[in-house]
Formats: sequence, structure tokens, C-alpha cells
Amino acid sequence: MGRVMDQVMDAIDLETVLACRDVEEGRGMILELMKELGFHDVDVVFIQHEGPGVRVRARAYIHRSGDKYGWLEVRDK
Amino acid sequence: MTERKKVLLVPLDPVHDIGLKMIRTGLDRAGHTTALLPPDLTVEEVVREIQQQEADIVMVSRTLGYGVAELLSRFVDLADATGVRDKVKIAIGGMAIRPELAAELGFDAGFGPGTTVEQAVAFVEGREYVPDTTRFSKTKRDMTSGYSYQYRHQYIGELLGQISTMIMDWVQDKTSPGVERAKVREELWDMRKWYAYEENTEFIREYPKLCGDMPRKYWLEGQLHPKTRRFTREEILGLERYLDDVKSRMSVLKLQHTLPKPIVFNQYGTGCPYMDIGHNKMSEAWGVDGVVHFDPSWGARTEGFLDGFLTHQEDGTVITPANLNRIKGSLEPSTLWQVRAHRGLNTPETVVLAGLFKADLTKINFCYGSLGAGTDPARMLVDAYHSILYAIKYGMPFDVVTNEELCGVPAHKAFAGMLIVTDFAVRLGGRPILQPLFAFSPEVMIGGQMRDNYVDFNAAKIMALRQITDAPIWPGAPIGFLTHDEDRVQSSTTTALHACLASSLEVEAISIASSDEAYSGGPISVPSKIDTLRAVAEGFRFFGQTKIQPGPAAEQWAAKLVEDIQQVLVQVVEEGDFLRAVYKGLLGSQAEGAYPGRAGRDTVTRKA
Repeated sequence: MGRVMDQVMDAIDLETVLACRDVEEGRGMILELMKELGFHDVDVVFIQHEGPGVRVRARAYIHRSGDKYGWLEVRDK
Repeated sequence: MTERKKVLLVPLDPVHDIGLKMIRTGLDRAGHTTALLPPDLTVEEVVREIQQQEADIVMVSRTLGYGVAELLSRFVDLADATGVRDKVKIAIGGMAIRPELAAELGFDAGFGPGTTVEQAVAFVEGREYVPDTTRFSKTKRDMTSGYSYQYRHQYIGELLGQISTMIMDWVQDKTSPGVERAKVREELWDMRKWYAYEENTEFIREYPKLCGDMPRKYWLEGQLHPKTRRFTREEILGLERYLDDVKSRMSVLKLQHTLPKPIVFNQYGTGCPYMDIGHNKMSEAWGVDGVVHFDPSWGARTEGFLDGFLTHQEDGTVITPANLNRIKGSLEPSTLWQVRAHRGLNTPETVVLAGLFKADLTKINFCYGSLGAGTDPARMLVDAYHSILYAIKYGMPFDVVTNEELCGVPAHKAFAGMLIVTDFAVRLGGRPILQPLFAFSPEVMIGGQMRDNYVDFNAAKIMALRQITDAPIWPGAPIGFLTHDEDRVQSSTTTALHACLASSLEVEAISIASSDEAYSGGPISVPSKIDTLRAVAEGFRFFGQTKIQPGPAAEQWAAKLVEDIQQVLVQVVEEGDFLRAVYKGLLGSQAEGAYPGRAGRDTVTRKA
């Protein structure tokens, strides 16, 4: 994990619109995208399908409570 | 004395010159000579004006867009070629301008959104801009001051007086393990020794005897709760470095616009005091006035506290002296700090610890604690009585929450409970704060009071309480409960609108959620807290001192609430025994979703 990622206090949200047929397809697509971007601890916070696609916000937790936080210059071994 | 300058203000923009007009006023006030050019001159015309007017400083305003960088470069090149650049300092300001971009384009300075007039004046006068920290300096406010706690509804006041006497007669000779632990904490735990890392021998000998299994194992065998761990030395040093750095450059925004209230609280309790500190510092920076400590749900069902500097992997930050001390130490001096203590087996000791670590506020309600939070009513009553006494001793006002509404208890019953606690506390010398819910509660989902709007029934609650008594009101917790969904725009908007309603009703304080309120898949994130703080600030800016006008239904519902509260209190008085009234469902029945709790049952004893 790079230095900038260390400075993320807890989570990164990615919000976008994906062209797709329904919520399930959109959910699969956003989770795939988050994995492609290299995130592991991911979830979909909000997703709603209307007409052409989904408005979706996915989240990747970089630091969860109880982890060792990069922004305190402490890293997990 | 500052040298007077001739400043040419250039709106190199067909429309936007309002920023320059504001700066011009500031410069004129500071005694400089200013000239504002008409908008939409060509760069050649502007350079000619600079030469003719013999300006010392030129301030250009331009919003960045496609092709604008080229235009600005051409302006700077022409200024260079004509020799103007050697004699004149040139600055650029506007949306999307950043100092580094201005430097790249060849300007002496760049001012982006949020630039103050004072900053522009400092540039003209060639001095460093020192932000006026007093502009956003905050001071703590006691939200109970100015309230008499006198009854406006005399009959309800009389009924409450009778109920308080009934409670006092029963409670004052009772004790519990929670009360005894609080006593041990207060009498045998020496804070000075604790700060000096010396052992509190007497305390350690007595305290475990009053604890349940899990805390006892900690005290006797050093065994921690499975989801907790101690911080490492490296982490402690990391936090100290972080706080030194952040505090040295900390500033805070102000959420309120032209009204001084409501004070805005948000809650923390990520499980980890370090993450809490991270969240709190960001919340303070973005304008929160107070923060509320949430402990883990298992803490309410456990007899006794652990000790040490502990992180916890789930929601709720473990209450220990070390955790409270670090969190308190991290807060800005102006931030109000509430440690809630209302609902579990450690209520009195929580109040003692909150008091010892200088919390500003706590939270106590024996009705909600009994009916909506799982604690045995008799135990809760005894513990709350002593908690109120400790809150008085340590000078902490406390809110009386009514979250049993979320279980399904109708507002009038929850309010009757809140008023019983309030009356009892006031008679003891306490300073309680009424905390009605602003919520889309089960009662209104079924009853339809919010079918059209969220304004009238919430307003009715405030109107009803004000018809009964003169006491501070702090809607919570959080406002807009059950109106949020997972979309951060919707969630922030509903919070902001409820905040504006609260402001319009002139309540003392509000507790707000993050925009993650309805998201249950993981911990609340710090950006989601900033979302709602930003939204609330914008709401306050939008309404200023203009009021939201509730409809006629609000008054009718307020009158009905007062009538129904009175009816409940009459029934409690007729029952003749407060605890029996609780079990009978007079303050919330099982059919309504209120279940008298069982934690701590049969632990109340008579004082020796």
C-alpha cells in the first residue's frame, strides 16, 4: 500500500453511474471495478437503478477500527 | 504606517465581478485608491489601462474554463512585452484558481474560492496574511442557563411532584452493585496516582469483587474482552505525533449563520479511541460544537469496567479511564463533550468517570433505560438516582432521551417518562435537558401524522413540551431518525432540513447523524460526518433567521400530546407505585414494543 493510501483516514468512496440493465448487474460491475482498482475490503453503500443504469457508491475501507493506521505512521507488519 | 497603493481591479470576465467589488470595498476602507474596469475588455485594452492609470497593483478576476488559461497567458505575455510586468504586481482570483496554477501562468499570486477580503488587502499591502482566528473562535455555552424549570401547566406539575415523591420514597434507601462500584471508583481510585502510573492498590482489591465475570477476569487474570486489544507503544507515539501536528494548525468552522443556536452535536464510537480522535478532529474542523461518546452495547449489560488503553473491533468505544482521558485531551477547548450513561449496569460509574475527566454533559433516563434498553426497571431506577446525584456533584447537565419511541412507544408516553425523570432530577438539584426525538417513528408511520410532511408533528412535540414546562430542549438523537436512506445526498438533505426546523423552533441543541446513518454494512466513515455538517451549515445559511411555519395540525397535535401526557401521569399516580406502573405498561407497553429489561434483575438491595 502506497504512502497516500496510508493517509486515508478510514474509507474511500467511489461514486458513479454505470450503464446496466438492473441493480444486480450494476452491483456486480461496481464490485468488479473496485477489485480491479486493487481494493479488497469493499462494499456497496448505495445503489439505485433508474432507466439507463445505476447511480452507485462503493466503498473500500482502508483503515477499520482497531487496525493500525497509516496516518499515525503505524503500519501493519 | 501602510503605504497607500493604487489598485486596478480587472474583471476579465463577461459576468463575474462581484468578488472584485467586495475586495474594492475592503481596499477603499483600508485607504487605498481603487479603480474598477468594466467587464469584458480585451487583454490589449486592459494592458493599456494599466499603463495609463499607473497602477501599483492589478487584481484580475476570471473564472477558469476552456481556453481561459491561454487568454491569461496572453495577458501576462503582453504585460511582459510592454514592460508593465516590471512595475506592477499582478494577481488573479476566481473559481477554480489555485495559487500554484496562478504561479504557472506567471501571476504574482492566485486566490481561489473562499478567499477573504482581508487576504486580498494583505496582498496589496505586501504583508503576510495572518488569519483572524477569533473569527471562528468558539466558547462553550451552558444550554440550561436561563431556564426556570417552572411549570406552565400546573396540574401536570402537581402530578409529577406526586410521582417524584413516590419514587424518592422507594429509591433512597436502595443500592446496587453499580452504585457500589461508582462509590469505590470515587472513593478509592486516586486519579493522581493513576496519572503517575502508580497502582491504586485499595481500589484494585475492592473493585473486582463488584464486577461480573468478564471484567473480573480482566482485573484478576489480565484477560481482555475478545474483541479488544491494547495499543502498542508505536501507536501511542504515533497518536501523540499526530495530535501535536494537528493541534498546531487546527482551526474550526462555524455552522450557525446569524443565530447563536442550536448547538450541533454528532456522536463518535467507532470502537477505537484513535479513530474516534481522527473523526472528532475532522468534525471539529468542519464546525461541530459538541461530540457524544458511544460505548459498546455489551458495556451496558456488563457489571464493571475494564482498564487500560483499549481498542475495540466493533461499534462503541470501550469506557476506560485511559480511553476517556485520551479522547478528552484531544478535543478543542471549545468542544462540548458528552459521555452518555443512560441505559446500563454501569450508569453511575460512567457519570463518575465522566465527571472526573471533566465531561460537560451526560445522559440519564431511567424510563428509556428500563423500557427500551434492556435494564431491569428497579435496578435502572436505583442506578439513575445515584447517577443524577453524581451529575449534580460534578456540575454536569444531562439530556433525558426518549428513544423508546423507536421501539414503538407513542410520543406522549415517552414524554411522560421524560418529564418524570426531569421533575425528579430538578427536585434533586439537577439540570436536565429534554430530548424529544425528531423522528419518523413507528407511531407516526402507523398513525399517518407525517403522511404529508415531517414538520408538523415534530413541531407539535416542541410546542407541547413548552406548554408544560420552561426547560431546555435538545432534539435528537439523531434528528430525522428513520428518514435517512443510504444515499448521502438524501441523508444529508434530510438531516439539514430537520436541523433547520430545530433552528426555526429555537431549540438549544441538536444531535445529527452522519450521511452513513442508514448504511449498516460497515463503520461510519469520516467523510460521511463532513457531509451532514456541510449540509447543516448550508441549511442555516439558507434560512438565516427566517422561520419554517408549521401548519395548523401542529397546534392540534400539541394540544393532544399535552392531554395524553396528563392522562398517563394520572394513571401513574393512581397506580401508586412507579415500578408497578412501568411493568403495567403505562409508560410503554409490550404491545407497543416496550419490554421491561432483565439485565441486573434482583441486584437491588437495601443500603447497609
